[in-house]
Amino acid sequence: MINFDNSATTFPKPQSVKNAVALAVERFGGNPGRSGHEISKAAAEQVFNVREKAARLFHAEVENVAFTANCTYALNMAIKGILQYGGHTVISSLEHNSASRPVYNLYKNRGVKYSIAKVEPDDEQTVRNFEELINADTKCIICTAASNVTGQITPYRELARLAQKKGIAFICDCAQASGVLDITLDDGMDFICTSGHKGLYGPTGTGLLITNGKFPLSTIIEGGTGTTSAELTQSDTMPERLESGTVNTVGIMGLGKGIDFVNTKTQARIFAHETALCEQMLNALRKHRNITVYRDDNAHYAPIVAFNIGEYSSEEVTEYLNRRGFALRGGLQCSALAHHSLGTLLTGVVRFSPSAFNDRRQVAMLIHEIEKIAAGNVI
Amino acid sequence: MPKSLIAMTSITYAYKAKRLLNNKGIYCEIVRTPKNLSTGCGYSLSVTKDPKEIILILEENGIPHKTFMRG
Repeated sequence: MINFDNSATTFPKPQSVKNAVALAVERFGGNPGRSGHEISKAAAEQVFNVREKAARLFHAEVENVAFTANCTYALNMAIKGILQYGGHTVISSLEHNSASRPVYNLYKNRGVKYSIAKVEPDDEQTVRNFEELINADTKCIICTAASNVTGQITPYRELARLAQKKGIAFICDCAQASGVLDITLDDGMDFICTSGHKGLYGPTGTGLLITNGKFPLSTIIEGGTGTTSAELTQSDTMPERLESGTVNTVGIMGLGKGIDFVNTKTQARIFAHETALCEQMLNALRKHRNITVYRDDNAHYAPIVAFNIGEYSSEEVTEYLNRRGFALRGGLQCSALAHHSLGTLLTGVVRFSPSAFNDRRQVAMLIHEIEKIAAGNVI
Repeated sequence: MPKSLIAMTSITYAYKAKRLLNNKGIYCEIVRTPKNLSTGCGYSLSVTKDPKEIILILEENGIPHKTFMRG
């Protein structure tokens, strides 16, 4: 089976990640940050080492790197941490449900107001769309760095400047950007929410919330942090404030090696490699009149290609490809807003998302199967 | 050599402090904070140098700490 569903989670993982996970289970089984004995401290030091690596990657202070279960948890913590007592937010028309659903929940249950800014191929127009929707009650902008459906890159630096100008927070979903786009806090966002198991090649069950510390978050989960244990009030010390309960040492140690893998290859080279594979796909898809590719020549894209073939549903196509040994994602990719914008809520799209481990030969084999579908011979 | 204790606000700051001090060639260990130095559980730096010198370094680098106890 060849995996082209790496936007969901990268697979396979580097050997070093597998080794780190095994090592964590075998040698670092203590509860980090909870006890004074050597087993606990050894685990805590491993967790700190990975926290340092993530801090370096995103240009953050080490205490402003919080480990989460995934990007969805990080987004929920940031969004609800800013908006749980009310206010207004502007979100993009490309948001994944991990951002749009917490906002909608706050709207239904906490009286939070929200507006949806259309992301256009023209970055300047996109920024104007956001700016027009900001009002005196707006507390934050929420925008993905790259759509998980089409890969379209948003003007996140310009939106960060807009948020700074307005004195509001900018929460950026970097799930599809981390590992391919060199995004750091220097780009101006106040919160980088990302998964550890996608472009950073860590195990599933890992994510990161990274902040510049300008907007302290209310908590949505409280509990044991290993500090100020005599008090009933949640610790206000970062990152423990956001890390109640035992952290995922096994996943975190794997993530550390995933970050090493990305640093060694470099994000620029991974981006170039994956983009070349996308170009190979695009060149093949565009030869067929009955294939619709969801790209605009004026926009910029992370290495993802979204398409449909004739009148076939995306699920029919991915089911056939699955039988032929290729893993691609059909349907809505958990992004109702993005599909509403594309006009594909009923059909979904087929999403091709390569990783550092895919190559041109694998893409050529996939193209061969897609051409059979487009010719109407196999479904 | 008597060891002094500097109570830290979190395990993360304890390791951040340790990394900083080690990079300056100052030896320290992370130990559990004794009850008489803390209102709850927590971690301390155990140092052989004058704790006031260490605290100065921590403060210069924006690393918060709590109380200290001379060894």
